[in-house]
Amino acid sequence: MTATAELLKPGSKARITRIKDGEFSLKLAEMGCVPGTEITKMFTAAGGNPIAYQIDSYLLGLRIEEASLIEVMPCESSHP
Amino acid sequence: MISKTRVALIGNPNCGKSTLFNRLSGLSQKTSNLPGTTVEAFYGAAQYNQIQYDLVDLPGIYSLYTESEDEKLVVTHVAGIGEKQPDIFLFVLDASNLRRNLLLFSQVSEFEKPAACILTMQDTAKRRGIQVNIEALEMELGIPCIWFNPREDKDASPVFKAIERAKNTHSLGNPTQIEDRLKLFWSGTKPNGLNQETLGRYIEIEKLLSRTTTKATENWKGLTLKFDKWATHPVWGYFILGFIMLVLFQGVFSIAAKPMEWIENLFQWINQGISNSLPNNHFTDFLTNGLMSGLEGVVVFVPQIFILFFLIGILEDSGYMVRASFITDRIMRKLGLNGRSIIPMVGGFACAIPSIMATRSIKSKSERLATMLIVPLMSCSARLPVYVLLVSIAIPFSTFWGPFHAQTFVITAAYMSGIFIAIILAFLLNFFKKDKNKYSEFILELPTYQKPRWQTVTHQAWLKCTSFLEEAGKIIVIISMVLWWLSSFGPSRAIETAEIKAQQIIAQNPGNTNNAEEIKANCKLEASYAGHLGKFIEPVIKPLGYDWKTGIALISSFAAREVFVGTMATLFQSSEDNTQGIRDKMQSEINPETGKHKYGLPYALSLIVFYAFALQCMSTMAVMKRETGSWKWPFTIFFLYGLIAYIGAWAVFNIFS
Repeated sequence: MTATAELLKPGSKARITRIKDGEFSLKLAEMGCVPGTEITKMFTAAGGNPIAYQIDSYLLGLRIEEASLIEVMPCESSHP
Repeated sequence: MISKTRVALIGNPNCGKSTLFNRLSGLSQKTSNLPGTTVEAFYGAAQYNQIQYDLVDLPGIYSLYTESEDEKLVVTHVAGIGEKQPDIFLFVLDASNLRRNLLLFSQVSEFEKPAACILTMQDTAKRRGIQVNIEALEMELGIPCIWFNPREDKDASPVFKAIERAKNTHSLGNPTQIEDRLKLFWSGTKPNGLNQETLGRYIEIEKLLSRTTTKATENWKGLTLKFDKWATHPVWGYFILGFIMLVLFQGVFSIAAKPMEWIENLFQWINQGISNSLPNNHFTDFLTNGLMSGLEGVVVFVPQIFILFFLIGILEDSGYMVRASFITDRIMRKLGLNGRSIIPMVGGFACAIPSIMATRSIKSKSERLATMLIVPLMSCSARLPVYVLLVSIAIPFSTFWGPFHAQTFVITAAYMSGIFIAIILAFLLNFFKKDKNKYSEFILELPTYQKPRWQTVTHQAWLKCTSFLEEAGKIIVIISMVLWWLSSFGPSRAIETAEIKAQQIIAQNPGNTNNAEEIKANCKLEASYAGHLGKFIEPVIKPLGYDWKTGIALISSFAAREVFVGTMATLFQSSEDNTQGIRDKMQSEINPETGKHKYGLPYALSLIVFYAFALQCMSTMAVMKRETGSWKWPFTIFFLYGLIAYIGAWAVFNIFS
């Protein structure tokens, strides 16, 4: 099952499996969103958009549209 | 001949690059947490071991493949396009985010220049369980690598030593013909396999990191997250933003009041000294009423500008501004703007000119344009003294309207009406936009909160003041002098005739000796060139409740709004050249037609509305021309905002009359 990053529950960790092709894919890669990287959804602004993720050791703010390009595999250690 | 070594500082945003630059050059400059706020390259000089260095601090970027205006500047320097290529690249790498930081390194190192790496944020990295073996890194990269904490380490000699060592090395990247690919990218065509290129670089970086670093995988918890719990809270986040804005305005209003009074008193004292010691002639009059009143009109703003930029500087430096962008993005998008628009908009309350330049960080062209267009509707600090003068003429200080202090209420309303019109305008602009699905993105790093660097922030605010004094000051002083000339001289013998006329009026009312000087001044002004100009436009502005004297002030304000107060001072020839003096003079004028106060509440409110909306700033128009590339937009909004101002002022005048 593949999920995309915007669907993650706050606080849950996942591993990036693929970046879908889109206008922002290059920019996302440049910001460190590449397959194999761990990504954790940290918090969102009002209305759930934009979303702040932890990647490596920094916080990245993304809109839902941008986050939905990131395909992830939820990590086992995260809570259901 | 001494040859200078050119060193360019290259790195991601928020990696401590500009702090390092300050440390090396001793020259303070602004570093912002918001990517792209450093829109210009900063230059500095340093000397170490009898070697001269020319340092250039380039804006922080994540990748050379960039389309935004400010970030392209880095590429021109790195590739030596139109700029001299630096002799040495000094990479600044955030050790807690080494992987992402190394992407830029990997791109730039292909230019095969001597280079060194400065690793910062060692403590943050340690806290997050990241260990970097710096010797191993140096071996792998083949260039000098050192730890340095630009915030704490006072002695910069290790950095200079690293630069020294770098001279004999050069960084080697995997050749991917990045130069050609960049040229292709710039010409508008995306080279094939850009994503693959980036992914390939990351694979190499991962290999490098596995040999040089160890990482404990754990979720980091820190102060930043605790702060963000509040700053980005769906409810409290907005309260905090609102509260901060309130404090910002209050600060500008109240803290600046005293220093402004001192400046006014100082000028009054100087003026008195001049008129007492020099003979009463045209030259003395020129000095006091022309030059000095113009100078005062400039200097008196310095406290407000300083405080505003200081406070905004703190918000940026601490990392809060990015959170403000984060929580407002959703609302801003509905208006065709971007979360990033909040910074120029807040800055607009200080001055539209730097704020329009700060829109460069907005990647989407339409969002950037919309932001630029509405920024001038934010009441800038130049409008504040106009508001203050007008409310103090029309409303006694102790007046309360219900629970509100009347003067404060009116000024707040003026600010709010600007924001209100801006929102409506942005909405309409977005509504009529042809292509709704235009590129729009919000990919933004939320940097770790940090203690503002007081010295940097203070220095930066002071730089803003001096540049205001130089730029705006020149215009204002020149206009004040021209205005003095226009109001002191008239066509042919008009002034002399007016003087005779004044003598006659005085002779007819012998009891009224107090006003003799004033009647004389008034008659002379009416006969002068300025008087003619004012009379000429009087029919147009009469519906708004303005007379020809206000007309003169309006015309002169089109160079810069802050001229208004100075003009009023010149026109009302107040003996005391300060707000108090002008106020007393204006309050005493009676409209012969209605018998009421000529400059009463309707007049003041009408003018406030006019000033809140009209684009009376040549510099703003010039900057907008530069940023949009044509005069189309500056002139469009000049007429549009003029129209809104006219209609608004007319409505307000008629409602309150």
